[in-house]
Amino acid sequence: MPESPKIRGAARRQLWIDVGLVLWTSFLSASVASVLGFAAVDPQLLRDAGPRIFDNLNREAGYALGFFFFWAIGALASGLSVFMVRSAHPPALNDGESP
Amino acid sequence: MSAESVLSPAALRRLNKVQPASDPSSFYAASEKIYPREVKGRYASRRNLTVAVLLGLFYGVAWLNWRGHQALLFDLPARKFHIFGLTLWPQDFFYMALLMIIAAVSLFFFTALAGRLFCGYACPQTVWTELFLWIERRTEGTRSKRMKLDQGPWTAEKVLRKSTKQIAWLAFAAYTGFTFVGYFMPIRSLGAQLTSFSLGGWAVFWIFLYSLATYGNAGFLREQVCKYMCPYARFQSAMFDKDTLIISYDETRGEPRGARRRGSDAQTQGLGDCIDCTLCVQVCPTGIDIRKGLQYECIACAACIDACDEVMDKMAAPRGLIRYSTEHAMHGKATHVARPRLFVYGALLAAAAAAIVVSLSARTPLILDVIRDRNALYREVRGDRIENSYTLKIINEDNERHAYRLEASGLKDLTLAEPLGVIEVAPGSVSSIPMRLEAPAEVAAGVHPITLRITAADAPNIARTEKTRFIGP
Repeated sequence: MPESPKIRGAARRQLWIDVGLVLWTSFLSASVASVLGFAAVDPQLLRDAGPRIFDNLNREAGYALGFFFFWAIGALASGLSVFMVRSAHPPALNDGESP
Repeated sequence: MSAESVLSPAALRRLNKVQPASDPSSFYAASEKIYPREVKGRYASRRNLTVAVLLGLFYGVAWLNWRGHQALLFDLPARKFHIFGLTLWPQDFFYMALLMIIAAVSLFFFTALAGRLFCGYACPQTVWTELFLWIERRTEGTRSKRMKLDQGPWTAEKVLRKSTKQIAWLAFAAYTGFTFVGYFMPIRSLGAQLTSFSLGGWAVFWIFLYSLATYGNAGFLREQVCKYMCPYARFQSAMFDKDTLIISYDETRGEPRGARRRGSDAQTQGLGDCIDCTLCVQVCPTGIDIRKGLQYECIACAACIDACDEVMDKMAAPRGLIRYSTEHAMHGKATHVARPRLFVYGALLAAAAAAIVVSLSARTPLILDVIRDRNALYREVRGDRIENSYTLKIINEDNERHAYRLEASGLKDLTLAEPLGVIEVAPGSVSSIPMRLEAPAEVAAGVHPITLRITAADAPNIARTEKTRFIGP
């Protein structure tokens, strides 16, 4: 289907907004997950009881690694949600009228 | 080919969600830079005061000491939180959870009572944006000067003003990042490491990240954080009702708006009190027009109230064309301050506060963990006695050194194989003590639940009891 540059521009802009939203909401949930998770679990547990690749992990690195892990998982969930909503046919979020 | 003819109505509607369809060229429009006009008045002074106090607290408290240690330190490397005299361990997460609940419910309570007080006065986004705006005013001048500077060519003056601003922004951002990390790693040693260029990799990483966040959020994103990124801005309307204090424009008094000569009679010209000077729009940090009604972009900073009051004074009209009001008051009805919603939030707040006070006052600053030796169930010693081995983990959560005594009970003639004497544990540290218990063989057969109790010799109210097992043949 031929698309005008304006529509392409709008789609591109929407894509960037979506990427930003996904990264931002997953950042927020990663912060919550880190606070709750590391209150219950000492990241040094990974060094003491985890796989061999964590043998040289200190606590600070453990916190950072955990945070980025939570962030990645959150971004995955958030990104999938956006993808499912945007790719639905008919649009999952229309204004209530049938097309 | 026009967009309308190619796309289905549904696809068009989907696109229309991005930008209003009336102006398709705005698809490309980046959000326009907002130049908030400087404002003076009652609310501006209050906000400046709040901003100064909050920034002072943030930068100052980090350096405050309390009995030899940093007063407020969420020491992540050591997994200990110091809050003045109180030291919280991971085991005390309950208190942190209660504190967070109190913070959240207070936000709900004050939002229901007085609208977005937090957004307009206390939100870090607002506070640091004010700081960065102040720097911008000092280096680039007033709103009109800033606009002219941005539009004009790159003269030597523009380069000088812009680079001064950037240097000041970067310096404040870097110091903010440093201070922030100083709440999570001891700030004095962080400072010493910084000046001797021996900072650890992670410290550098987090300082850099938070500096960047400060610089980006307060320097560039500003109102866009409130408009596009803040979830609270979207759901705060759930706490609103018709009795919530909001900033509103008195439409019945102001309309029809229009310019007029000073001293001329508005009524004979068929005009309301609004002279359409647009100052309320110019001072708005989020760039909205309050005269269009309450919008979720409004952070309730009250800058438009100050601006409009000044104009009303000049026009010799009463103040308050834009004012703090409630929807009920605006429609000539009575405002109810005491209403069920406030009582519910208030009760929740009181319950959480009571829970934290009661549990903190009943807290014993001592933890005892008893770990049985996993290698041997029991050992026969001196022919007729059975011995079990344990490791005691004693955590002294108090801020003073204590000496503890151990008692074991639950089995006849249960004794310590070797006297332990008193166990000294330094404040805020953990002590691991290997320990053996023994009992005569004739009573020891089978598994017996036993009780270990440690008591501080100098403070009998600091005691812990822990259950474990004594195993015989």
